[in-house]
Amino acid sequence: MAQVVLKDLVKTYGSVYAAKDVSLTVNDGEFVALVGPSGCGKTTTLNLVAGLIPITSGDIVIGDRIVNDLDPKDRDIAMVFQNYALYPQKTVFQNLAFPLMMRKLPKDEIDRKVREAAKVLDITHLLERKPRELSGGQQQRVALGRALVRDPAVFLMDEPLSNLDAKLRVQMRSEIKRFHQDLNATIIYVTHDQLEAVTMADKMAVMNGGLLQQYDTPANVFANPVNMFVASFVGSPAMSLVPLELSSSNGQSALTSAEGWSLPLSERNARKVAGASSNKVVLGARHSTINLHKTQMPGTVPARVYTVEPTGDITFVQAFLAGAIVNISLPPSVVVAPDEQVWLEFDQDRIHLFDGQTEMALRAD
Amino acid sequence: MTSETVNSAEPVRVARRRGIDGWRWAGRIFLTLLVGFTIMPMFWMVITSLKTGFAAMQYPPQWWPASPTLDNYWRLLDPNGSVGRDFLRYFWNSMFVSVATTVLAVLVAVPAAYAFSRFRFPGRNFLFFAILLRNMFPAVVFLVPLFILMRVLGLVNTHGSLILTYLTFGLPLAIWLLKGFYDNIPIQLEQAARIDGATRFQAFFHIVMPLSTPGIIATSIYSFIGAWNEYIYAYTFLTRHDQMTLPVGIQRFFSENATDWPGLMAATFLMSVPVVVLFLVLQKYFVRALTEGAVKH
Amino acid sequence: MSSVEKQAIFRDVPGFVPKRPSFGQKIWRSRADYLYVAPAILVMLVVIAYPIYYTIELSFFNTPASLSLADKQFNGIDNYVTILTSPVFWKVTWQTIVWTVLSTFFAFLLGLGAALALHREFVGRALLRGLLLIPWVISAVAASYVWKWLYHSDFGAIGAALVQLGITDRPINFIDNSTSALYSLIVVNVWKEFSFAMIMLMAGLQTVPDSLLRAAQVDGANPWQRFWHVTFPHLSGVSTVTILLLVVQNFNSFIIPFIMTGGGPVGSTQIWITHIYELAFLRQRWGVGAAYAVLLFIIMMTLGYFYVRALTRGDESRAGA
Ligand SMILES: Nc1ncnc2c1ncn2[C@@H]1O[C@H](COP(=O)(O)OP(=O)(O)OP(=O)(O)O)[C@@H](O)[C@H]1O
Ligand SMILES: [Mg+2]
Repeated sequence: MAQVVLKDLVKTYGSVYAAKDVSLTVNDGEFVALVGPSGCGKTTTLNLVAGLIPITSGDIVIGDRIVNDLDPKDRDIAMVFQNYALYPQKTVFQNLAFPLMMRKLPKDEIDRKVREAAKVLDITHLLERKPRELSGGQQQRVALGRALVRDPAVFLMDEPLSNLDAKLRVQMRSEIKRFHQDLNATIIYVTHDQLEAVTMADKMAVMNGGLLQQYDTPANVFANPVNMFVASFVGSPAMSLVPLELSSSNGQSALTSAEGWSLPLSERNARKVAGASSNKVVLGARHSTINLHKTQMPGTVPARVYTVEPTGDITFVQAFLAGAIVNISLPPSVVVAPDEQVWLEFDQDRIHLFDGQTEMALRAD
Repeated sequence: MTSETVNSAEPVRVARRRGIDGWRWAGRIFLTLLVGFTIMPMFWMVITSLKTGFAAMQYPPQWWPASPTLDNYWRLLDPNGSVGRDFLRYFWNSMFVSVATTVLAVLVAVPAAYAFSRFRFPGRNFLFFAILLRNMFPAVVFLVPLFILMRVLGLVNTHGSLILTYLTFGLPLAIWLLKGFYDNIPIQLEQAARIDGATRFQAFFHIVMPLSTPGIIATSIYSFIGAWNEYIYAYTFLTRHDQMTLPVGIQRFFSENATDWPGLMAATFLMSVPVVVLFLVLQKYFVRALTEGAVKH
Repeated sequence: MSSVEKQAIFRDVPGFVPKRPSFGQKIWRSRADYLYVAPAILVMLVVIAYPIYYTIELSFFNTPASLSLADKQFNGIDNYVTILTSPVFWKVTWQTIVWTVLSTFFAFLLGLGAALALHREFVGRALLRGLLLIPWVISAVAASYVWKWLYHSDFGAIGAALVQLGITDRPINFIDNSTSALYSLIVVNVWKEFSFAMIMLMAGLQTVPDSLLRAAQVDGANPWQRFWHVTFPHLSGVSTVTILLLVVQNFNSFIIPFIMTGGGPVGSTQIWITHIYELAFLRQRWGVGAAYAVLLFIIMMTLGYFYVRALTRGDESRAGA
């Protein structure tokens, strides 16, 4: 096992940046999830680490070697591909044996290792089949197995679960996690599903448009998103973002809407907005930190219910507030109807404030 | 209809409307006529080849030979007779030239098609178009300059001149067909192989090559048939008759025995056998190559 | 934190465009790629680029019959003038058009019919397909002799059959007669190449998604409507390529007219290529022959433009690395 360091990694296609100045360190034995929307450069970054595409500039360190110019085969990595990439003409056994064969291991050792990996993944009964005779989940296991038979420094996984149905995905999720714990493996795991990242990873790296936005533990990313993109990308339902105007009277800062209401800010939040580059400030709040009232109360702001989605133990409500849509979760005992007038109360200690111009989070210090 | 049966507990069973079978019958009749048109000349070729010269020259013709004979074939295949000696020599010349062309075409086309499918080097499109355009030009345009070129290279009256020339018309289609195959093989397979420890070449050899075997077979059939049937270059480049290939040889045979139609028909039959057998045995690869590679939507 | 901030701001800076490598750099970086195509390019260069250059040169000279290049004389565009003012040129061109258009039309039509008729599964389908493909596979020389024998004015099977069926009184002179010769050869040509259209279109038919046809069936389309609205539009790409290839092939035909009639009788089956061959090799008028070839080259380049475009549609959308 080994650490992986990316230093100012750049990859361009013509004049398009697929990865722009990506820098991050994956410690030995860490499980890092690379997340971001489609086309943000996750696969590109992974392929750069694997050596499948040449880097435009920057450095990649695996273990204690700079591997920029090494062939994929010499980087000591294993990779699970987005679409599995099982060799169609080979049986499952031959698929698993191929990496060992390429490393010129003796035949009996290949046989032993393949059977061992097959046992761990519970695919022993499939060894003589061809990939097209397998279900999606089985193919998935074989693809994992092909990475497992070796003992690489780093595992790279590119959305390995994206083609599976929901139930299988949950099951495979815990299996991969177990596998990480048992082997204490260094894993870089690409996904566009932030829930997968939050539940599996030690750290998550959020990417957008080729740029690394934030790299931290899932808990920290969730609690302190650095900008509006991360705030809206991590968490489900997404964090609500309401663009407002900053105003102050008698030394009391408040957020004002075009509709005329205003929300006075606590002293700590007032210190945060003092750093804003203009009077445009975006209020962010997660669904669980917003209280809904049926009557007007001090410190509440008016909103109109848009949709109501009961899920059983929680009811999700979307409401219009100052022209933006706000997600709220309610206990099923509270009943609201679309178009109903309601009043929302924000928990001042748990709201997020963003600079409306730079989209960066505003901090108190 | 339904309003009248509202009280009835039984729902009305609606007869399934069968589409008129007119289209299917039209297809069958058309196909029968087409097959007749296709095999009639081949049928007559075989019938004639079984007649004596005298029986062939009758009016009205014997639709079925009164006394069928294989003499025409024995004559062509007898290594001791003068006709047989020539014919067998032409046959082996054709075989040699066609096999050599096929092997070389595959060896040259495989890496080129792979590169055109996988790499994005400057000039790629231009070169690919230039190669495809080769098949737009008739042999006659190249005849004089190539003849002079072969004279310079000292290849006139050798099979080398034919092999080199045949390569140029086999290659474009070979490259095109194979490229279609490689385009359909996901690049991730090679990437996986390279991560599994293979070099670029090993990845190609162990993973891509086996998957493109049908394409290689199809390419080989095409090159072989093209070389086997080629006429103009062979007619121009070869003047010594011990070098001649079958199409030229048969023409020579005809000009010397202008009325030996049964002999000529036997010769055309024997000449057609190798390509027809080869094609019929391997036609599924050819169709597959077109379907999977060349003719996508 | 600060680096993240820098990046996030960075994103919106206009005009921040990565430096593009120069053309030379790109070539140098791809040097290994060229090794793969080098053998193919080399062969093509020797056997194509050089002859084309040479033909163009020859077309501006008057070269002696001996093809002794040292004695050739520059004569400007005389060769071209000779061609375009000759009545033979227009006759041959008209015959070439008739030959090309009729051959292409009927070969495509028969090929399309055969492909559609063979599209559904039935016992013996592969055999039938193989049988229909035989004319395309065998040598044109062989086919020409077989048909020459079928058309024979005294002992030909077709003439005799027509008489026995009471359709004509006397055997028809198919190819020894200047009014019917060209059409008789077109029949041979269609026989020889319709299965090429068939196999291309069969391949095309297999790419028509079943789900689309089923969807149309559910929507209430009858067989003809399904063909017209689903199958046929799907075939348009293949059809374009097939027709273009047929046109090129027919325009460039040589063997069938050369072997069967040699361009006669009285030039009635002379088409461009046989005419060029006759000028150059039988009458040693190298310059005029070369000028013809250059004109042909121009026509072919025009067709070639469409051919390449039809062939490479969608090629760029496929990714590579
Ligand atoms: N071979 C290529 N040529 C040109 N552009 C490319 C190429 N490969 C990727 N790109 C571009 O680079 C960007 C990043 O692509 P990448 O495949 O890394 O996205 P991704 O984050 O993996 O997305 P997804 O979640 O859809 O897999 C995209 O804008 C893509 O269009
Ligand atoms: Mg991806």
